[in-house]
Amino acid sequence: MSAVPIILSSAPHASFSSIARVLAGLLPESQPVDGGAPLELSAANTQPPRLISATVIEGGTLRARRVFEPPAVGFAAFLDGTQQSLVACYLPGGIPIVYGTVGAVIRDRRNQRLFTWRHAVEHRLYAPRANVSPSIWRSLSETGIVVHDTSETDTPDVATEHPHALRELAVHRVQKDREIAERSLALEWCSREERPLLIDGGTSGADQVARAACAIGVIKSHRTLYASGEALTAVLGLGYAERSSVFLVTSPKRASVASWYLRIRDPRGHDPMWGLIRVEVAPPAAGIDADVGRRADVVSRWILAEIAPVSLPDGRWDKMVYGVRDCEEFLRAVM
Amino acid sequence: MIDSPLPSEESEAPLGRVVATERKPNTPHEFHFWTALDSPVGIGTIVRVEGAQPVNGQIPTIYGIVVEGFSYTDLQTPIHDMLGHDGTPGGGSLGATQRAEIRLYTAAVLRQLPEEPLQPVPMGRVFLADNNDVAVALRMDGYLREGANTGIPIGVYRAGGTDAPIYLDADFLIGPEAAHLNITGVSGLATKTSAIEWILSSIFTHFPSQKGSVAAVCFNVKGPDLCFLDQPGPVDEADAALYEKCGVPVKPFENVQYFAPYKSDGFSLNTLRSNDALLHNVSSLTWGLREVLQYAEVLLNKDDVDAKADALIDFIRERVVDRDFGDPMLGNKRYLVRSFADLEQWFRDVLSAMEGKNGESWRTHHVATIRKVRNRLSNISTRCAGLVTDDGAVSDLPFGSFQDRTVYVIDVASLEEDAQDLIFARVVTRLREHLEKRDLGVNHVVVFVDELNKYAPNDGPETYVRKMLLDLAERGRYLGLVLFSAQQFRSQVHRRVVGNSGTALYGRMDADELATPGYAVLSPAVKTKLATLEKGQLMVRHPHFTQPIFVRFPRPAILRGRDGAERYPQAVDIDLEAAVVRSLRTLDPTITLGWVQEAVGIREEDEIIRARNATVRERPVDVRKFFLSQLRPVVAAQTVTRPATAAVRSAPADDPYGF
Repeated sequence: MSAVPIILSSAPHASFSSIARVLAGLLPESQPVDGGAPLELSAANTQPPRLISATVIEGGTLRARRVFEPPAVGFAAFLDGTQQSLVACYLPGGIPIVYGTVGAVIRDRRNQRLFTWRHAVEHRLYAPRANVSPSIWRSLSETGIVVHDTSETDTPDVATEHPHALRELAVHRVQKDREIAERSLALEWCSREERPLLIDGGTSGADQVARAACAIGVIKSHRTLYASGEALTAVLGLGYAERSSVFLVTSPKRASVASWYLRIRDPRGHDPMWGLIRVEVAPPAAGIDADVGRRADVVSRWILAEIAPVSLPDGRWDKMVYGVRDCEEFLRAVM
Repeated sequence: MIDSPLPSEESEAPLGRVVATERKPNTPHEFHFWTALDSPVGIGTIVRVEGAQPVNGQIPTIYGIVVEGFSYTDLQTPIHDMLGHDGTPGGGSLGATQRAEIRLYTAAVLRQLPEEPLQPVPMGRVFLADNNDVAVALRMDGYLREGANTGIPIGVYRAGGTDAPIYLDADFLIGPEAAHLNITGVSGLATKTSAIEWILSSIFTHFPSQKGSVAAVCFNVKGPDLCFLDQPGPVDEADAALYEKCGVPVKPFENVQYFAPYKSDGFSLNTLRSNDALLHNVSSLTWGLREVLQYAEVLLNKDDVDAKADALIDFIRERVVDRDFGDPMLGNKRYLVRSFADLEQWFRDVLSAMEGKNGESWRTHHVATIRKVRNRLSNISTRCAGLVTDDGAVSDLPFGSFQDRTVYVIDVASLEEDAQDLIFARVVTRLREHLEKRDLGVNHVVVFVDELNKYAPNDGPETYVRKMLLDLAERGRYLGLVLFSAQQFRSQVHRRVVGNSGTALYGRMDADELATPGYAVLSPAVKTKLATLEKGQLMVRHPHFTQPIFVRFPRPAILRGRDGAERYPQAVDIDLEAAVVRSLRTLDPTITLGWVQEAVGIREEDEIIRARNATVRERPVDVRKFFLSQLRPVVAAQTVTRPATAAVRSAPADDPYGF
């Protein structure tokens, strides 16, 4: 759902050391890697920046709208997930065996303090089955950890023998598993709760979540901007506590959601994306534009209420609400 | 008393978890743990850690006391918080979420079970110590078990719903182990005196019978502090609960005897406890020449008593006082020196004889030395007027017949420093002598001395009193002579006196005092707690406790000095006859002023005082008869007839030689 939050631990997780030892025993021909950096740090974002025109469903054109009412506390909980991928060993031919950990958590706010509502942490091995022998695959299975095949990819043109390409495939698979973990928690929340949940990232990955009134997605990265021309000017020119008109985000592979941009910090003296987030909520039923606007105002007030405390020292603090940072800190502690 | 240590119930919820990092590792003597924000843990709280991994087949249990606390959030620098509030402190309410916050505590290890191998404290769950845990943690289980039973309650440890009585080991409080107690704290909070009164009550209640009898001798050195130990004072419900918890009855001391010298007039008691209603257990304290001369060096400083003077004083003490003394130089006159007045006469005769013979020395003593010693000794009765009598009358503590569980209070508050020193030196010496001979009447005596800063300072000239206190602190415990001392500044008391105190109590402390090196072993948090202790709270160090413990003790069920002074105001100065009436009425309430005035008639003041002193000392059945017998009989007036005498026959004028 969100864009690759990673754990920056000073030392690999203890379980990583044990699995590396197990692999060294099962695969004597492998070459162990000692204390490598998480692959997410070196993985390049392959998605190119792009502009997409979206259907405005609040008024005729996309323009700046002031959120007049003061911020109000509305969110009951926050959801975020993290991942970490480490190469456990290389097989002959430079084939990486990646040890991936994904985690997701919902932190429930009670009396201004955050408590864990539910969390999940999963460890897996990631290897390209097509590139290893059946005996090695069996050996990997004998470790007792679930092994995921990174050969199954949606991008057939990838040079699947290049070690870096294989590592990236593993990272993408880990990312997919993280999104699944996040989605699973979001689904559980939406099936049990009606209180608003702030999800770090989009909500369109799962239909049930995308349609749930309680799920609000907050996107901090803007590789894709849903505006162009004057609309883009309007978005990038938003001031503090101003939002864009609501538009519809649709995709053939994902559920449709209603969305708008919101500036949560004063951008003066900063780059155009400073404090700019995009919000996703369940799409309205057709023809009730007025309600969409009111809903956008209410949710915007909720988000504006979350700008304190600030999420420093996180580098994304201008866009990150404290509840999400708390989720990441929690996952950093338990993963 | 407690049962043998039992494992705590598993159902109780942990209040914290042990944590250790490379920067803050756990050691065998210290560990760290965090708690929920609302946990009842504070500085001084005793906790129990249950390890997860067995050592030698046994799950380790560690007991610790919280000595430091930390609280912080995930905020990296204060400016981040300022930014989050747009520089407006009042904007705090904007924050919908409070930052993640931790309560991190450091605890000093009290005890590890098993005790071997001694390892760093493992990770584990932390529980609030219950009564049983407190007993084990402080090793009280060793002396509270059946058969030992030497616990003396000092107060109640209170934390998070746990109310556990804390016991001191009588063997280490009264001896023969360790012994002695020292209490320090700022003045004016009534903590030190109250604590001593409470502890004495506790000792009198719980001192084990197999250890024999115990009494206390208290020197009242200031105001009316100890003047009303036998009078009940108000005790509120909370304090009554503490009494009940400690098993001490809520009542004042039952057996108290007061001693005070007279004022310089020789007949008014020099004490704030001089109200008629309270005189039944007040006795005078007066000493004569013999008693004083034994402690001459207390009153005479080194400039006074050089080797030559010392030799002469020894000569007087050994050969003159209470001896039938004669010397060729003094002619045939015999001397029986029993009082300062006798001694003065003796000096006068010796010096006259020397002058008569124009001699410079007598029995190797130079005339200048004799004059000097005469001057100094004669001066004593003036400097210690009221305590030292010219006539040799002695009224003393009942050495040899001390009573079990009795407090003997000697009021020296209004005396000159010399007199205070003399009383202290002589009383302690007599106590030691009697305890050595085992004929004091009790097996143990607690001597309470306040204002140790004054009597045993760590600097200044070496005084006899300081030497006495050092001797008492270092050797008293073998005899059953125990020093309970108090002062405002422990750092300014002689190191050997406080160092020999097995048990140390601390009330609220002055920050300057806490900054001295003697308190370096305490954590900043413990020092802060010490600096802000409420009335009725103490920090206790005891040989069995590896770390100081904070306890609460009840206000003594005794009339406070200030209240007592208001309720029982000091008697106004009165004339001699009224003073005699007051003294004799304690023996015979029917005695009236009229009777006394008729009895004493026109007799000299000295004679009346002597008769009064003798009566009070002897405590006869028939007071009137005895008092009268002490007065010299008055010869009845009678008419003397002049014998008739024959007139002298005049000589005849014409024959003057004719008869």
